[in-house]
Amino acid sequence: MRPPARRAEWKTAFQGLAPLAALACALAFHGPVHAATLVITVKTPDGHTLQGAVVTAYPLDGTPRKPAPIKAVMDQVNRAFAPDLLVIPVGSTVTFPNSDSVSHQIYSFSPVKRFQLPLYRGTPYPPVHFDQAGVVTLGCNIHDEMVGYLVVTDAPYYGRTDARGTWSSELVHGRYRITIWHPRMRDEAADLERELTIGEGDHAELTLRLVKSLTPAPLAERPHSWDY
Amino acid sequence: MLRRASVLVPLAWLVLAAAARADGWELDLDGRLVSSNADPSYTRGGISGVRFDQDQSGLRLGRARFALTESIGELWSVHLDASAWGDHDRIPVGLTEAYLQFRPYPFAGYRLRVKAGAFYPPVSLENRAAGWESPYSLSYSAIDSWLAIEVRTIGVEATLDWLGRRQGHDFDLGVTGGVFGWNEGIGTFIANDGFTLTDRQTPYGGRVGLPSDPLLMNFEPFRQLDGRAGVYGGLELRWLDRVVVRALRYDNRADPTAVDNATNAIAWETSFDSLGVRGETAGGWTGILQALKGNTAIEPGGFYLTWPFKAEYALVAKQAGQHMLSLRYDRFEVDSSIGGDGSETGHAWTAAYVYTPSEHWRLTLEWLRVTSNSYYRNDVFGLASLASETQVQLAVRYALGSALR
Repeated sequence: MRPPARRAEWKTAFQGLAPLAALACALAFHGPVHAATLVITVKTPDGHTLQGAVVTAYPLDGTPRKPAPIKAVMDQVNRAFAPDLLVIPVGSTVTFPNSDSVSHQIYSFSPVKRFQLPLYRGTPYPPVHFDQAGVVTLGCNIHDEMVGYLVVTDAPYYGRTDARGTWSSELVHGRYRITIWHPRMRDEAADLERELTIGEGDHAELTLRLVKSLTPAPLAERPHSWDY
Repeated sequence: MLRRASVLVPLAWLVLAAAARADGWELDLDGRLVSSNADPSYTRGGISGVRFDQDQSGLRLGRARFALTESIGELWSVHLDASAWGDHDRIPVGLTEAYLQFRPYPFAGYRLRVKAGAFYPPVSLENRAAGWESPYSLSYSAIDSWLAIEVRTIGVEATLDWLGRRQGHDFDLGVTGGVFGWNEGIGTFIANDGFTLTDRQTPYGGRVGLPSDPLLMNFEPFRQLDGRAGVYGGLELRWLDRVVVRALRYDNRADPTAVDNATNAIAWETSFDSLGVRGETAGGWTGILQALKGNTAIEPGGFYLTWPFKAEYALVAKQAGQHMLSLRYDRFEVDSSIGGDGSETGHAWTAAYVYTPSEHWRLTLEWLRVTSNSYYRNDVFGLASLASETQVQLAVRYALGSALR
């Protein structure tokens, strides 16, 4: 995993505050409510923890609050997307600057959002708007080895697992649909969906284990100029 | 001398100024320290299994190369690859590849690529680096050396890929088709000199062999004299970024009875099938297996003469950071329908160490031994038909350009 670009890092930090803000709002409008810390752990079939898995928690009780759209940035550095994965709420916009000295030509043919950014360097285009939930796979029409992902979610609670394979969030009591996704996951995302009720106590845990092994990580150290 | 410099210097500046604005340009200089016990090769009027002979031991130019890739509008680009080999070809600098590429955006999971111009057909799994070079060794395999000497597509090639890996699958699939002309020389070299292991690529307008060569007689591989187009079709399967399988059926559809009255050049009817697989591991291992089997024929004055040929190689390489070691075994054979004329059997071992301390510098030490039994080596050149030739090269290459970044 490449280190995220500075701006994206800032955005990620900001995103992390969203669940807390939601909780604060819930407290402000509904008076005292019961809340708990939900900890999700994602593991591979052989029992190792999985870093970088996208986790979402979607409330099934009442009318769920829509997550607030964000303005995110996915840079292009050394012929790679940086970061190579972003999780954004439905309605968000993403800017795709090109920090390389070579031109890129970004495209997506994913049904969730089809778009093209003709040959460019720098930041000549306005942000792209993503208004439908799902996974968008990004590529460069000149550099075939470049691949990036946007996970567009309508869940108010979302994030990625850390080095210990966990993601946690403060949630009010209730029923939730938990989903996970990873770019190298072979399982169907629907097969790994779980419903979870957070009721008694202030702590809930769920461990999700992939059934199929991950596809191998892309080869590192291969020069860009090689036919791959 | 001064007058020449007064032309060349502004020209060089013009080229560099154009390059500075281009999407990608590269300038490479590859110098060699050579030790060889081989007989003279085709570039010096002889017949040999390697590029440099015993009289060429010492300092040599491996290759001087300038390449440019420039976008033309949104969906087109042009690629030019020029090289000098320092061996007194008819032209001092020549283009080894020059083509236009059309690259529309992938649509609904499919991607189309169309090339028009002069380029290599999709056979090699080893020559994957810029300039159609092998990153594993200096000398190419017997199969790829043959392509470098006399096989090129001058025409149009279209490739349609199904991009499965971008849609959650583990593999991609590609179908390629090509139509080409200026190919009637293909087969001349293999029927006369047989297979050789070299890294010299014949440029357009260049020649193969010297006027004094009793076999090749200064022939030009890229010529058109029967008005027929050749065709090829291929398939490619990719599993993740680890395994590539490539198959190609090639037929130049030449009329073997055609003769060019001006030069007495004959059209060679040449077809071949090639199949190869390349696998790579996260631990830095690469393995390549490739086989090529074909036939070339001529029919001057009603005599049908044919030379079936085949070659295979296995390569294993291990990369650890800036260091790479590789070992390759080649085996090749040319048969003949006229007694032994032009027949050859042989094999070769290539061992190389490649050190790449930066994107600019590359240092390669290569040991190559080719053992072959060739009918013409004795019949035409009066040498022992069985020869074992060893060539050791130390290469230092400096590269410069925006294509490196």
